[in-house]
Amino acid sequence: MGGGFVMIPLQVLWAGVGQKNANANSLVAIIPIAIVALPVYYFLASRPQVDLHFALFLIIGSVVGAYAGARLLGRIPEREVTLVVVAVLLLVGLKEVISP
Amino acid sequence: MSWGDGLAVLGGFFAGLLSGFVGIGGGSAFVPIMTVGFRFNQALAQGTSLAAIVPTALVGGITHIREGNVLLGPALWMGGGGAAGGVLGALLALYVPGPLLARVWGAFLLLTAFRLGQGVWRKRATNSGQPS
Repeated sequence: MGGGFVMIPLQVLWAGVGQKNANANSLVAIIPIAIVALPVYYFLASRPQVDLHFALFLIIGSVVGAYAGARLLGRIPEREVTLVVVAVLLLVGLKEVISP
Repeated sequence: MSWGDGLAVLGGFFAGLLSGFVGIGGGSAFVPIMTVGFRFNQALAQGTSLAAIVPTALVGGITHIREGNVLLGPALWMGGGGAAGGVLGALLALYVPGPLLARVWGAFLLLTAFRLGQGVWRKRATNSGQPS
């Protein structure tokens, strides 16, 4: 995980950043974080754990999705965006607590 | 291209949509796609997820910059700080056994959801209290 779930609420609750700006800033900040974390997983794990074939097909779908999601953000009201963030946090949080 | 590959593209699309919209890397969607949907073990799913996050965040992040959604200063400060923290976090994840870490993390997410939800509720209460 790239840290988005920490950076988004941090900005909104403590820095007074708007929800949409917070989401967008978070995704930009994730770029260097993921680039730095990737080699750690590669070289410091006992052996590299990456299925390149599967990753390729995930990426084909995800880059299209990421473009669509980013374009969509500007077209949805701030309050509804926060509600989506809250729903995602609840879902992922419950999953981690119940079945870690 | 097999059925599995097609499902990966479809799952990747929804994970990417979530990533671009909410501003997360997408790992919390990529990982369950692989562990639940394709019976990957946790380590392989996490490594593969991280490889998928890099191009996903690049496309989503650049689109956000072009859309004018990004305050570039704070984003770069967080990215720099986060990259330093990310190395520590990745090491922590490799050497600390998972379940406790995951539960603490889950509790943090639930608390955060509560606080953000509270904000929306308060705003609505304030707005409805004012003459429009």
